[in-house]
Amino acid sequence: MKNIYHLVIKDIIRFLNDKPAVILTFVVPMLLIIIFGNVFGGKGSGPRGKTNIILVNNSNSVVADLIESKLDTSKSLRMIKKYLPADSKDSVLFDEESAKEFVRGGKIMAAIVMPKDFFLDTSSALKFKFYYDPKNEIESAIVQGAMQQTIMTQIPKVMPIILKRKAINYIGSDSTARFYRDMTKTVTKYFGVDSDSFMSELTKVDSSSLFNSSADTSAEANFMGNIIQFDNEQLVGKEISNPGLTRSVGGWAMMFLLFSITGAATSLFEEKQEGTLKRLLCMSVSRADILWSKYIYSTMLGVFQLLVLFVFSWAFFDIDIFSNFFNLMIVIIVSAMAAVSFAMIITATTKTASQANGVSMLLILVMSALGGSWFPIQFMPEWMQTGSKATMTYWSVEAFLSVLWRNAPLSSVYTNIVVLLVFTLLLNAYSLVRFRNGRVF
Amino acid sequence: MLKIKNITKSFGSLTALDNISLDIEKGEFFGLLGPNGAGKTTLINTIIGYLEPELGNVSIDGEDITIENTQLRKKIGYVPQEIALYLELTAYQNLKIFGSIFDLKGNELEKKINEVMELVQLTDRKKDKVKDFSGGMKRRINLAVSLLHNPDIILCDEPTVGVDPQSRNAIFEMLHDLNKEGKTILYTTHYMEEAERLCSRLAIIDNGKIIAQGTLVDLINMLEQKETIKIQKTAFTQDKISAISDMGIISEHDFYYELIVNDKYKQHSKTFIRLEEEGIHNEFVQVSRATLEDVFLNLTGRSLRD
Repeated sequence: MKNIYHLVIKDIIRFLNDKPAVILTFVVPMLLIIIFGNVFGGKGSGPRGKTNIILVNNSNSVVADLIESKLDTSKSLRMIKKYLPADSKDSVLFDEESAKEFVRGGKIMAAIVMPKDFFLDTSSALKFKFYYDPKNEIESAIVQGAMQQTIMTQIPKVMPIILKRKAINYIGSDSTARFYRDMTKTVTKYFGVDSDSFMSELTKVDSSSLFNSSADTSAEANFMGNIIQFDNEQLVGKEISNPGLTRSVGGWAMMFLLFSITGAATSLFEEKQEGTLKRLLCMSVSRADILWSKYIYSTMLGVFQLLVLFVFSWAFFDIDIFSNFFNLMIVIIVSAMAAVSFAMIITATTKTASQANGVSMLLILVMSALGGSWFPIQFMPEWMQTGSKATMTYWSVEAFLSVLWRNAPLSSVYTNIVVLLVFTLLLNAYSLVRFRNGRVF
Repeated sequence: MLKIKNITKSFGSLTALDNISLDIEKGEFFGLLGPNGAGKTTLINTIIGYLEPELGNVSIDGEDITIENTQLRKKIGYVPQEIALYLELTAYQNLKIFGSIFDLKGNELEKKINEVMELVQLTDRKKDKVKDFSGGMKRRINLAVSLLHNPDIILCDEPTVGVDPQSRNAIFEMLHDLNKEGKTILYTTHYMEEAERLCSRLAIIDNGKIIAQGTLVDLINMLEQKETIKIQKTAFTQDKISAISDMGIISEHDFYYELIVNDKYKQHSKTFIRLEEEGIHNEFVQVSRATLEDVFLNLTGRSLRD
């Protein structure tokens, strides 16, 4: 035990004297957290960046103006309506052709056009044209989603007019008028509303009334207006101030943990090459002492690294780590143990430091991608999602997500902890067998 | 004190040590001389318990050294061939780390660190990082680490490889003093000059076998020809050399001819008279005492540096 203690101290002194290792273990992950923290929002970060979209409004309808005004106030999109032609000093409004040219030329990602027949007096549908360059499909999908969301919020206002026009188209104006008269009689008889105003509201097909605020407030007007209603309630993570980083910090931390721990464990190869391993072994140090010390030191380093990264995320990006701190510590410790067992098996099964570095780099990157460190596994095909469960990264990232995002009790991450411990036990057992026959000693 | 008995160690089909036995007495300065790849380091690795032999055993004061018997290793101070130090740390940090593993602590550890730093004459560089030291200084710290726990036996595995002459002499003096203090030293080298200078007794190892052992005098006495005659190679002597071919075997080297005289010229006087007669004057001739190099050449047919 005494030897193990001295060897752990030795590794700590060596680590603290190795500036590149300290930087790679702490500073680089912190820099990445700063980048991601600012991307996903957080304390001290500026306003979110907006995506530029060309908007061409060739319609004279008030519905188009309404939608344009809504798009102008979008939080994620910036509507570009003018451009500066090469041979001109004055900006000119985009038309459909110039908008398409800009998209084709890669100057802008998308253009939305509301053509002349966007919503005519006789129209029973809204007609948009959307031109885009799918060079970045994720960005394109985000932009389309944001646009659709903005437009859809205005649809209920137009919906009654569209329905009335469709009714006239399908059953004819006489039948529609008869239907409205009969309905007005029935409603007036049983509900006592004013027959004239009800009839007027029912038969109105003029979209100009959409900008008339007094019309919106009457119960009769809202009778058709509120035909689509969403009641949204966020059930989890409402109080989280930085949701994006809270979701991703565990994944990044786990990836860097694997890198730093593997580096620490494979230093056995360097010590062998330098001759210090042999020097220790010809003292009163046993092989078991060396392995135990390496295991304990690496686990301590891993726990400390994760702790520093989480505390840093708390200090700079308001990630709440203290409301479920005990459970977070349990997940940190178990994740560090699993990472060390991974590093040990790399050391036990490879023959040289460069081989160990190459193999570990490959495996860590694959595990991180597959296990959800880089992006949610829901983005992957089903077979990959199944495969991700074979990585320790998945179980660790999910456990971090549960304790940070859901404030989950220990019982909720019990399965994750058990799976990580099983990984640890199996890998360590195999490493020990390999160390007996391997080349490190 | 250190008994090596019938040690055999193989790596695959290569027999690195073939039935090696040595008996090193307390206080002895014992040399193990052999070319690179002869098995010197493998033998040292077996003695320190780093390698386990297939056959035979190594014992110190009657107790067998094994991989598990870590306590017995405290009697050994091992000076490895490599600079087995943490280069990014200071000399003091290295000594403190290794000293604490030797069970030294507190004032005792500080005292020992100061002692060995003084011994290797690097006290003023204690706080400097080892990576900033010269090759010779690194070697001296390498030696200092192995002396921290005051071992009875010091195993030096080619401790002067790549060292400048000044540091080499300093190391020789340190080892000589330690031996005088009663330390038993086993010293491996492929430099016959080192072995001749330092060791009271020697073994010559080649291809994993001990091919001869004894004092320097014993080994030289194994040779029929205990002296060689060297004739300086000049334009003048080059013309004369063929005239003395009947005197014995002549071999040509870079800067001299070596003459191993036949029985007729065993007496120096006869040799010198004949050489004078042929016009090779005394100023071109040198008589050399046989060396370990000659012993090795005689035993193996190869030079130590081949």
